[in-house]
Amino acid sequence: MKRFASWPGHAWIALPVRVYLAAIFLLACYHKILDPHAFALDVATYQILPLALVNLMAIVLPWIELATGVMLLVGLRTRPAALLIAGMMVVFTMALSIALAKGLDMSCGCFASQGADEDPISWTTLVRDAVWLAMAAYVLFFDKRPLGLDRLLERRGPPVAAQPNP
Amino acid sequence: MPMKLLENPTVKATVRDAVLIVVGCAAFGLAFNGLRPSGGIPVVQREEYDLLVPCPDISAEVDPLEPTDPRLGAERTLVIDAREAEAFAAWHHASARNAVYDFLDPLPEETVREIARSGAAMVAVYGDGADPDTGRELAKEIASKGIRNVYFVRGGAPALRERSTAR
Repeated sequence: MKRFASWPGHAWIALPVRVYLAAIFLLACYHKILDPHAFALDVATYQILPLALVNLMAIVLPWIELATGVMLLVGLRTRPAALLIAGMMVVFTMALSIALAKGLDMSCGCFASQGADEDPISWTTLVRDAVWLAMAAYVLFFDKRPLGLDRLLERRGPPVAAQPNP
Repeated sequence: MPMKLLENPTVKATVRDAVLIVVGCAAFGLAFNGLRPSGGIPVVQREEYDLLVPCPDISAEVDPLEPTDPRLGAERTLVIDAREAEAFAAWHHASARNAVYDFLDPLPEETVREIARSGAAMVAVYGDGADPDTGRELAKEIASKGIRNVYFVRGGAPALRERSTAR
């Protein structure tokens, strides 16, 4: 398992995964940043968060999506970004499960480009989110030397101090 | 176990960076919201949001809406035309969708689901403006399905049309 985890080829497999996840999150944050009120309504529709936290969530979350999307795309602080994306996916999946269990007939609120009629929550949405969670987890656990700025900065970093001879 | 995991320098650095990203984004998001030309949204919402989620509260009473009410043109208002398809084709409110009201047949379940899913904050229904008004009857039926914030336009399509012609 350790040998598999340290396989250098993961960086190349993780690259398209990162680009895909980045595209999803950049697309998702766009309408939320443009129209925080609409997103706040979407958050409120889930009926999970207390009212006092709904707007705070609507204000902050899109920027985390934007930052992590960009970071994943350019390979800067890739693993913290993947950790946050995985965390968000866990939260979204839980929220979806609760909404589905409550029988709420509502829009996912994930992408504004899709109208509410075109993007209702369903078990398919849940599976989709689980796949995205798995992708984020793959980047987090296996992309140890990500291609991108992280690797570039690692190369240009200060030389490792010489080890004293025993 | 989680504490032991955090002793690993890589894990520690990853979590620390993730926390810094969240803090940075929160600060930036709050500042951006405050500096929005439109004023942004309040950080703490005090008034309940009007949500269109079907609920067991069944109330068939609906309030009227004047044809001049500016909420009719609002983005999150779902306008429904209850008249026959021909009348709808001849003239209808700019953002209206047609859901023909039949005094004998119940409202299709799919129409109710579509309204609930629409993400609208308010539903405004107008009909032929006659007595009884199909708009008012449809609005009552929609409200009885548990959809909140349903109104009917007083005077129906003739009043709306007259208002649009006057403008």
